[in-house]
Amino acid sequence: MTASPNRRLRRQSCRKFLGDFYAVIIYAIFYIPVLVMMVFSFNNAKRNYAWEGFTTQWYGKLFSFGNHDLWESLAYSLAIAILATAISVVIGVLGGIGLKKFEFRGKKFINLMLYVPIVVPEIVLAVAMLIIFITVGVKLGIGTIVAGHCTFCIPYAVVTIKGRISGDNETLEEASMDLGANRFQTFWRVTIPSIMPGITSAAFLSFTLSFDDVVMSNMLAGASQSTLPVLILSVNRTGVTPDINALTTIMVLVMVAGMLTVNGIQRSLRRRELRAAEEAETARLNAARF
Amino acid sequence: MKKLLAAILTLAMALSLAACGGGNGGGQGGEGTGDGSGAGNTELNIFMWSDYMSDSLVANFEKEFGVKVNISYMNDNADSITKLTAGAGDGYDLIMTCDAYMESLIAGGYLEPLDLSQIPNSKNINQAYWSEENQGYCVPYLMNYIYVVYDTERCPIEITCYNDLINPALKGEIGSIDGARNLFPIALVALGYDPNSREESEIAEAYEWLVKYNENVAAYGSTETNMVNGTISVMFTYDGNTAEAMSAMGDNNTLVVAPFTSDPVQLGFDLYVIPKGAKHMDLAYKFLNYICDAQVMADNLVENPYSCPNDAAVAVASEDYRNAPAFNFGYKTNVFFQEDVGDAIAIYDKYFQMLKVG
Amino acid sequence: MSGPSALRKKRHSRLPALAQAGPVSVWMILFVTLPLLFIIYISFMTRGTFGGVVYEFSSASYETLLDATYFKVILKSFQVAVLTTVTCLLVGYPFAYYIARKPADVAARLIMLLMIPMWTSSLMRLNAWMLLFQTNGPVNNALMALGLVHSPVKFIYTDGLVLLGLITNFLPFAVLPMYSSIEKLQGNLLEASADLGARPAVTFFKVTLPLTFPGIFSAIILTFIPALGTYTITDMLGGGKVLYIGNIIKNQFGTIRNWPLGAALSVLLLLITALLIFIYSRFAKIEDMEVL
Repeated sequence: MTASPNRRLRRQSCRKFLGDFYAVIIYAIFYIPVLVMMVFSFNNAKRNYAWEGFTTQWYGKLFSFGNHDLWESLAYSLAIAILATAISVVIGVLGGIGLKKFEFRGKKFINLMLYVPIVVPEIVLAVAMLIIFITVGVKLGIGTIVAGHCTFCIPYAVVTIKGRISGDNETLEEASMDLGANRFQTFWRVTIPSIMPGITSAAFLSFTLSFDDVVMSNMLAGASQSTLPVLILSVNRTGVTPDINALTTIMVLVMVAGMLTVNGIQRSLRRRELRAAEEAETARLNAARF
Repeated sequence: MKKLLAAILTLAMALSLAACGGGNGGGQGGEGTGDGSGAGNTELNIFMWSDYMSDSLVANFEKEFGVKVNISYMNDNADSITKLTAGAGDGYDLIMTCDAYMESLIAGGYLEPLDLSQIPNSKNINQAYWSEENQGYCVPYLMNYIYVVYDTERCPIEITCYNDLINPALKGEIGSIDGARNLFPIALVALGYDPNSREESEIAEAYEWLVKYNENVAAYGSTETNMVNGTISVMFTYDGNTAEAMSAMGDNNTLVVAPFTSDPVQLGFDLYVIPKGAKHMDLAYKFLNYICDAQVMADNLVENPYSCPNDAAVAVASEDYRNAPAFNFGYKTNVFFQEDVGDAIAIYDKYFQMLKVG
Repeated sequence: MSGPSALRKKRHSRLPALAQAGPVSVWMILFVTLPLLFIIYISFMTRGTFGGVVYEFSSASYETLLDATYFKVILKSFQVAVLTTVTCLLVGYPFAYYIARKPADVAARLIMLLMIPMWTSSLMRLNAWMLLFQTNGPVNNALMALGLVHSPVKFIYTDGLVLLGLITNFLPFAVLPMYSSIEKLQGNLLEASADLGARPAVTFFKVTLPLTFPGIFSAIILTFIPALGTYTITDMLGGGKVLYIGNIIKNQFGTIRNWPLGAALSVLLLLITALLIFIYSRFAKIEDMEVL
């Protein structure tokens, strides 16, 4: 017995609705705290203990001349997160593929080591790294923080990439080599695109971990600058001030706007491509006619 | 095989170079203790709490002395200890820490001794708050009482001593700060022992007391948020946080500092030390002298209304500050200090874990 | 096959392995193995009276670990980690599936949308939850205004709120790896299964789930293990009345200043996790996973 097309259609649209509904709930759970944070950036109170009334003074303070502290920390955090993400993704992608594909002595050991930064509490690794850095004579600063962040980002990247690779990648690669592509071409043109979603995931995870890190950023920091999460945690001793909410609000809005812009550019590019293809097609047809 | 090894080595070197920001490391440790000279001496590196010193104070100091002040922030009182004991102190010129750690830091040789003749304004500081052993190594900045505050409208009982806190009537009403060395002293005082006791039997008794206290506690941490929002009606917390909570409640403030009759309260200091090997000692001295100035500190108290050991500054501070209810209570001199308990800290830790594991 | 050519082939095939597995190996040895050896080393040393470590052999730290308290703490930490992981998998898998079935560019946007909140400070997000559910907070005020309740509901410091905090913190770490492995599932495979008469549930359990297992496994690793050491969320949303293994280790490196004990606890945590993964890999017989 087969379902009538009508019923199948109805069932499909019902499933689609359920899926969308579920996604909306999940996103709501993630955005509720962000919205609360945004609302409290307009709180007319010295510290965010409770809602006291509406004001925009915190935005004024944020953009006032004397207040570089927050902006500098934000820039510092961003620079660290971008560097750490770039290094972690490159090493993570290569490592994820390499550890999956090749057999070599010590591979089990490296695989085991990958779990260590996830298991060992960050403070322990941070203190150990701090002492080693000092013993070796490395100057503490952005470099040491990035090294610390990469150390826990790389395992996340490798694990994510490995979750993406499996047997059929190899089939594809072999096909590519058989068709005459060299190793590098195969890697660049076949392997990388086939694991792209894994790479994106790894990049997102690394960036998130680095951008929100406190422990490594605190322990391995040099004397001149603190990252934003370290500053926020430090302020939290007596309660977060609304200007930090204001900064967070601006950050989120900029990111969403950026996403929409990229989106729009992509869409218009695609439209132009389509139009170009259409034009080429008509031109070809016209040419064929004459 | 050789090539392989060479490749690995090159890679390792490239990576570690990348990791140390251009390999700008090493061998700077011993240079320039004290009177470092020339161009390198225009930056002062401070490690302290964020939001704890007015921006204008720092800006004015920078202008007056033509230097740049870099401040990086700590997240926990223990941060500075970890940095110092790990040997990373020499990157800073001034580090904020609290009095409870001073004995260890001095004994461990992590600090530069201070020459008070270079800090003439330090005479403004009340000697009662600045023990003789510490005078050679630190300058107190601000201080905090850890006391009990309650809401006269919502709290079911009147609180006049620590033993009132284990009254079953307060179940779920208390918000408390956390940490073994903040909690055990009040239990020890309540039981009539030395708040810095090293006797396991006394600490064990204090543990029994704290079990009852723990039953009344709604939450550790976020005391002022919970108080302002009506989640708790009693809090065991710092006077600075109380001041913030009281000012947040404004005209509707119903919070009072518990009128303790005989139990002493803990008084702690946030103070500055110069870590061993600091590279800009003379600047550090200038800064310490600057913040000890009565007017400078009085101005700083406007934005940071906390208890201050600088008597001269308090005398010229604003009316608002001097009349703030959070700092006006009758037993300001009936205090105890948190001392280093040496190896007995392990005993405290053991009972603290038992308290919170059950 | 003659000698030289075989040799050349062998050398030829070693270069890509080196290029790919080399950097990660070097990084792990420099920044993980070395610190780890150091951690193991100090776990056998003596606590310094003035903090830090006195380099004299002592097994005191490991003797302390025999105390029943630590067993209880680890058990409690496991409970939290298991609860977090299971919830994240149950909530996250359908969500990852939903995203993965969208066209690539839509999926990328949906992922981005999931990550943006994560780029705000986690401390601020926890604060936001607290403010929202406070006794006199917006939620309670709304409930009272609507006449649904007469006195404020106690949301704050309940297990429910802690779980909510844990999920919002760990869910993306479960969703991302599962998404990237579900995305790879070929639609025609599922169609084939359906064409062969399998019911959707059968297709799911016999085809989809096994094929996406690598992603699920990654998700477990990336949520369970970090959740084991977590303490900020439980402290802030739970009221700090319960100590977890993360708290205890942090305290050893903080106020208690007993680095050797903190190091020994970390080693213990490492051993337990290694054992678990080992048992799991034997039990689940996943040759492809290369767990250890």
